[in-house]
Amino acid sequence: MASALENFVNNVRTLSASENFVELVRYLNKSIDLLAKNWSILDNVLETLDMQQHTLGVLYVLLAKFLSISPTAQSTDITPLLNLTKDFICLCNRDQIRNTGAVQSYYEMCHNYTNEIISDPTKCLQGIPVLMQAIENIRTVSTQLTPIHADLCQISLKAKCFNRALKYLNADITEIATTEDIHSDSKYFLLYYYYGGMIYTAMKNYERALYFYEVALSTPALTMSYIMLEAYKKFILVALILNGRLIVLPKYPSQVISRFLKPLCQPYQELATAFNNSTCEDVRTVINKHSDTFVRDQTMGLVKIVSYSLYKKNIQRLTKTFLTLSLADVAHRVQLPSAIDAETYILNMIKSGEVYATINQKDGMVVFKDNPEKYDSADRFLKIQEDMNSVMELNKRIKKMEEEVKLNPMFIKKSVTQEDELSSKTIVKHFTQ
Amino acid sequence: MKELEENQMSPVLNIPVHLSRFGNDQERMDVDEDNDNIDEQHLIVENPSIDLEALANSYTGLAKLFRLIFISDVCPSLRIEALKMALNYVMGTFNVPLYQHIHKKLADIQANAAGNQMLPDIAAVSANVTPTDIPPFDPIWVETKNKKAAVKLEKLDSDLKNYKSNSIKESIRCGHDDLGDHYLNCGDLTNALKCYSRARDYCTSGKHVVNMCLNVIKVSIYLQNWAHVISYVSKAESTPEFSEGHSKDVNNTIVTRLKCAAGLAELATKKYKAAAKNFLLANFDHCDFPEMISPSNVCVYGGLCALATFDRQELQKNVISSSSFKQFLELEPQLRDIIFKFYESKYDSCLVLLDEIKDNLLLDLYIAPHVNTLYTEIRNRALIQYFSPYQSADMKKMAKAFNRNVASLENELMHLILDGQIQARIDSHNKILYAKDADQRANTFQKAVEIGKEYQRRTRMMILRSAMLKNHIHVGFKNNAKDTVSDLCVAAGSSCTLPRN
Repeated sequence: MASALENFVNNVRTLSASENFVELVRYLNKSIDLLAKNWSILDNVLETLDMQQHTLGVLYVLLAKFLSISPTAQSTDITPLLNLTKDFICLCNRDQIRNTGAVQSYYEMCHNYTNEIISDPTKCLQGIPVLMQAIENIRTVSTQLTPIHADLCQISLKAKCFNRALKYLNADITEIATTEDIHSDSKYFLLYYYYGGMIYTAMKNYERALYFYEVALSTPALTMSYIMLEAYKKFILVALILNGRLIVLPKYPSQVISRFLKPLCQPYQELATAFNNSTCEDVRTVINKHSDTFVRDQTMGLVKIVSYSLYKKNIQRLTKTFLTLSLADVAHRVQLPSAIDAETYILNMIKSGEVYATINQKDGMVVFKDNPEKYDSADRFLKIQEDMNSVMELNKRIKKMEEEVKLNPMFIKKSVTQEDELSSKTIVKHFTQ
Repeated sequence: MKELEENQMSPVLNIPVHLSRFGNDQERMDVDEDNDNIDEQHLIVENPSIDLEALANSYTGLAKLFRLIFISDVCPSLRIEALKMALNYVMGTFNVPLYQHIHKKLADIQANAAGNQMLPDIAAVSANVTPTDIPPFDPIWVETKNKKAAVKLEKLDSDLKNYKSNSIKESIRCGHDDLGDHYLNCGDLTNALKCYSRARDYCTSGKHVVNMCLNVIKVSIYLQNWAHVISYVSKAESTPEFSEGHSKDVNNTIVTRLKCAAGLAELATKKYKAAAKNFLLANFDHCDFPEMISPSNVCVYGGLCALATFDRQELQKNVISSSSFKQFLELEPQLRDIIFKFYESKYDSCLVLLDEIKDNLLLDLYIAPHVNTLYTEIRNRALIQYFSPYQSADMKKMAKAFNRNVASLENELMHLILDGQIQARIDSHNKILYAKDADQRANTFQKAVEIGKEYQRRTRMMILRSAMLKNHIHVGFKNNAKDTVSDLCVAAGSSCTLPRN
């Protein structure tokens, strides 16, 4: 047994020294079972390997350790292993992981690491920098999505610490790192957008959250995933909070989604319908009726925000129609219990810039004003300039992508044959006539 | 003979489809409308002020019967009179199923009245009805009519077969038409439609085509199949020899008939503006087709739709100064007054007059489902026009002009403002309505920024999507993709598949 491990160490050393990484990965893949069987003495093996020089060897040893603890996780203390992983991620040699077949094992290790710490918020907090480093190790450009992104979002949510993950979320993804296992790729892709959406929802950046949920929903699909179902529930709620109505999903998502999602989210659909009627009474009835479902789905908090936002939406509607209105009238029209409630709502909305108004307490009137934004300040100009620049950037990128497609030999071949077929058809037609 | 009898009996079975009004056929066709119909069907008209006799005299055939039955459905006070009139009229036709239907209705009312004599309200309605008033069911009549109809059918059928074996196109066409007429007379609309449509293959001239179209349109109106009506109207209008081969007079009649049919169909499908335009093109002197619509109907439908959808110029040009429509308006002086009052901005009296004729309109088969929509439209239009010249308006005066109290006027205005129909804001404190001066520049900026944002969002998603497709990201059928959420917390190790190559 011991000799087999010695043999393993020797092989790793020689192959690493000769930089024959492809061969090494092939060998390591074969010997993963051997390592898992000898999990008790793997520490000895680690001592003989150097993280920088024998990165791949260490990676597989760590992976084997993770695989072997999973079944008996309750008893053993895993802190040393977590620390080892942390050290490994800081010290490993990036080049050995990239550009070889070991990427998948690397992701596997990160997923295992996440699974081990996910139950403990403090460990999650400590894990955030580790996973950030792990992402930096593997990604080639800053707009590349890796499966580790999903793990990072997950532990950020658990640790309730979002700021550090935002750096990754704010980058618009243009490339996706994949492995040979398409299914797990899709799973982590969906998870990233689902967790990302949740983080943005928690940060009250609803616009971006909606975008993330929409991406998750419009992923090509042959069948429906539970992640999509959950994303759709939150999508409805966030759309109601942000836009006050259900936005239509784009046409390109597969039919499967629209067919299965809607019947499965009946309570949410009902909520949206009630919300559209702008009557708080209906919304309240629906919430009461389905409160069990909302609590079970852990969306009750969002549902409550939805019901608050209906009052806000109704008050905003009033500003469009009225110049002055008494507080009692406001309360009556938006179905708030009293003028004092209306005053609090309007006060909060004025503070957050959602409505432009002044309250005259002497005679209990609200004076609604127009948006003071006149689009003539320097700041505004700068912002528009920035927007324009980013639009132009996007255009450039699209052009580049188009060129890539045009230069793709496959594409050229296909379009040429199609053209040939067309022209031959017309010739045939010509002759038959 | 037996076969024929069966053939004859089948309409009895499917007749309720045509009669139950106006329900089933339409429901199948148009789901949207279906809801309204249900609403309208329960409406009860209490105080009609129409002369039933005169009304019934302006129609013939099924149009008369359908209208009378409709009136009996919505208006309890005229129910018995209308049904009796219908019963009398139906005796003159071959329409046995309808006879049975009407008689059953009458008998039901009688039974109800007898059963509930304790209840004063129903007793009051049927107070003047004694059993002798209602003609007893006449099985002999039914028998003879059925027989006669069967004999005629057999004759027409054999004639048609004869023509067919001799393959004389013109005779075959006539044969089909005759057969269609007979079916129509018996109340079997589906078969009538079939026969009329079959004649199409034997049309040899544009005149025949137009004739066929007119027949189909007629039956389709009875069936309330409006899509059919519209398509056949356009078919007739696009027939190349449409204007030839007829004297000018006949031609005008056909044009008017087509316009009215189209107007009716547009009205039923809630395209009020198109309906108004069609009705306004009708020619008074050639508007004589009592089996479809009466001139005063044309006036009311056209006038109301125009009022609800036309702007001031259109109203002036197409309605008030239109010489042909003026003749129609003379038939309905009340409506004429309404239109003129509206144009003179005397909304107060205009709205009062409108309310006065409302009950009568609700008795009209075709316009009843639309009365409320049209009235709201007209009211809104009046409010918009009233306010259009002002910078600010006193809502108290406005309320007086529209017969409303200030609070409900405020609500109405609020809806109009939210719909974007009035550019104004309400000063609820002083009850004054101020026109809103829109800041075009700021609006444009705002819109541009919004569109820019939307564009960026879409483009980003597109780029991401292309990356998705490039990397074959999709949710597949394999189980570890399907139960993704459930194995979230379970260590991925259990399902880990390492490449072992």
